[in-house]
Amino acid sequence: MTADKLPISKSAIIQSIADSPLKINLMELGFLPGKTITLHHIAPLSGPMAFKLDETILALRKSEAALLDIQIL
Amino acid sequence: MSEPTQTPLVKPLKIAIIGNPNVGKSTIFNQLTGLSQKIGNYPGVTVDKKTGVMHHQGSTYEIIDLPGTYSLYPNSEDEIIAHRVLNQLTEQERPDFVLMILDSMQVSRGLFLATQLIDLGLNLALVLNMADMAEKQQLEIKGFELYKALGVPILHTDARGAKGIEQIRDLIHQKNFSKPTEFLPVGEYIDAQSLTDVKEKFEIQSDYQAYQILRFGPKDKGISIEKREWLQQKTAQLGLNLDAAQLEETKLRYEKINSIVDQALVKKEIKERKSSAIDKLILHPVLGYALFGIILLVIFQAIFAWASVPMDLIDGFFGDLSGWVSSSLPEGPLASLIADGIIPGIGGVVIFIPQIAMLFGFLAILEDTGYMSRVVFLMDRWMRPFGLHGKSIVPLVSGVACAIPGVMAARNIGNWKEKIITIMVTPLMSCSARLPVYIILIGLVIPDETVLGFVNMQALALLALYLLGVVGVLITAFGMKYILKTEEKSFLMVELPSYRTPRWKDVVITMYNKSKTFVMEAGKVILAISVILWVLGSYGPPSKMEEIRVTAEQRLSTATSEEEIATIETETSSLLLENSFIGIMGRAIEPAIRPLGYDWKIGIALITSFAAREVFVSTIATIYSIGGDLEDDSTIREKMNAQINANTGTKTFDLPTSLSLMVFYAFAMQCMSTLAVVYRETKGWKWPLIQTVYMTVLAYVSALITYQIFS
Repeated sequence: MTADKLPISKSAIIQSIADSPLKINLMELGFLPGKTITLHHIAPLSGPMAFKLDETILALRKSEAALLDIQIL
Repeated sequence: MSEPTQTPLVKPLKIAIIGNPNVGKSTIFNQLTGLSQKIGNYPGVTVDKKTGVMHHQGSTYEIIDLPGTYSLYPNSEDEIIAHRVLNQLTEQERPDFVLMILDSMQVSRGLFLATQLIDLGLNLALVLNMADMAEKQQLEIKGFELYKALGVPILHTDARGAKGIEQIRDLIHQKNFSKPTEFLPVGEYIDAQSLTDVKEKFEIQSDYQAYQILRFGPKDKGISIEKREWLQQKTAQLGLNLDAAQLEETKLRYEKINSIVDQALVKKEIKERKSSAIDKLILHPVLGYALFGIILLVIFQAIFAWASVPMDLIDGFFGDLSGWVSSSLPEGPLASLIADGIIPGIGGVVIFIPQIAMLFGFLAILEDTGYMSRVVFLMDRWMRPFGLHGKSIVPLVSGVACAIPGVMAARNIGNWKEKIITIMVTPLMSCSARLPVYIILIGLVIPDETVLGFVNMQALALLALYLLGVVGVLITAFGMKYILKTEEKSFLMVELPSYRTPRWKDVVITMYNKSKTFVMEAGKVILAISVILWVLGSYGPPSKMEEIRVTAEQRLSTATSEEEIATIETETSSLLLENSFIGIMGRAIEPAIRPLGYDWKIGIALITSFAAREVFVSTIATIYSIGGDLEDDSTIREKMNAQINANTGTKTFDLPTSLSLMVFYAFAMQCMSTLAVVYRETKGWKWPLIQTVYMTVLAYVSALITYQIFS
């Protein structure tokens, strides 16, 4: 599944990142295969999603989260 | 750009400060340089070039604050600057040393950029900032382990508490930087042999720099066209897949970093950060928006209440000054130019400082506490359908106070298209300068009655005008979304930093710098337009003007009472304005504005209020020979109410005309200061001109429709 479908407060491991012009932006922020992410918050009406990654909280649009292929923990 | 002969014998060493966003980079820069900061421009981009001077033990150093970036991949204008300066492609910008600031809580992300800097072959030192936070989180960073792995000097600081700043000064003074060996050899993701030609062509040493130039140079307008074409040919000739190489580089780099971080970082205890609990409230789907609304209300209340005091003082001061000049200088064009052209022009620039400083003060506090990113997070979904970004909320909201700081705040938006749309629509928000115009016209035609038991009609009309502005913003933005084309992909990807108390020194420096930038850069244009307006308003065909003056003198010589003299004077200034070049222009545009319900006298006010919308009121006062106290709206209102339109024979300011005027002022670009700021922020006249034409057309058509409906 992809990270945009992750339920709130659940954690998952990133498996891979889909090819996209934004792939490199995600990677430089630390969204890398093998990393654990936790859904911290989600904005109303399919708004952005805030993920906890290591010690930080990073907000992504739903379409950006959909690029992350994850394995739920 | 000084001549070689003027260069001092010992040039101060240049130290560039770089780091990820939100790591306290600017705080360190502020601590090192204080108020000795200069804001300049990089050629071709809108990013500010911030430099400052640091004095330490008798030596002087030039500090350059580079924009925050996560990597050396130039995605946004900010990153292009970091990329360009650090790749040392232009001699002028070349720093001698680079000081990189890392967040102790996010070492691996920081090391991503740090190791890229190492590979560029820069003279580098690292600062692990926010050591206090790491301590609180029971995170131990073994600095020596990091040093062993990277070969770069490392300092621990807590810039908020001003801890470690002296060590940074010492480190710079002792030139304790080092140029370690490559961290990730280029050969691991690209054939290093292929870079030999690039290194030769650009006369550089480092493989990584050659790779960066090959990868990003073709799009870098800082490089000559000839060299860019050469790079493109080279890439094609070598058959390199640079996109794939970049992904591979990123992966390998992080792998290597993570193995170092595993050794150097010890996390003793997992603690839930307090941010989570606060976020439950701040990001709440209902309460979060309510809270944002309340915060905005408080800010605007504060700006209206507090800014009006210094603004009145400034207004009074320049008024007195201009009165003093005209009474003490011999009467003539020079005195008039200074008293009525230049002094009010400078006053018109200075008057904006309280609003700009306060708004940016509040924005800096919101930014610094970590709240602003949350607002961006909450608003992105609502902005996107209109081609705007979550970050557009800041300019738009600022626009309710004044479009100038709003447009200036738009530079935080990375995406070009979203930034341009935001700048284009922000002046449509109803700013505080429209208020005097609205209030006088509403008082004239809308009855002061309550409907439905509690709603005041006048308040309702005012609210409708504000909403009209918002509707104008949304429709325009929506339209522009389909007109503007860009290859840049819009993305959010914003960090929600942990909540912190604001750093007051940084807040004050931001307020100072923003005001200074406005005065220095937009001020010139505003002053120039003021003088032009003064010339047009005080000169006309000489014979006609002379005739008016002679008649006035004759009448004055026979005047008997103080009252009569005052009447003659106000009537004369009215006649002079009517016959000035602006008066002639007002008459010339009358055929065009007649369908809106205006006569040529209103036409004159439309032209003069280009200086600032509130000038409408004083022009109307002059033109209708309203003497006495202008502060008292009721005098103006009475006079206006008595005016008869020569074309229609009915009241000039009847309901249709007044409504049409209000709609016109809601949309028209009646503000040279906004124009000047848009010019500065977009680095050219293209967008301010498009904006003026667009807003004028929008205002005209909307006012026409309004007039036709109500008449």
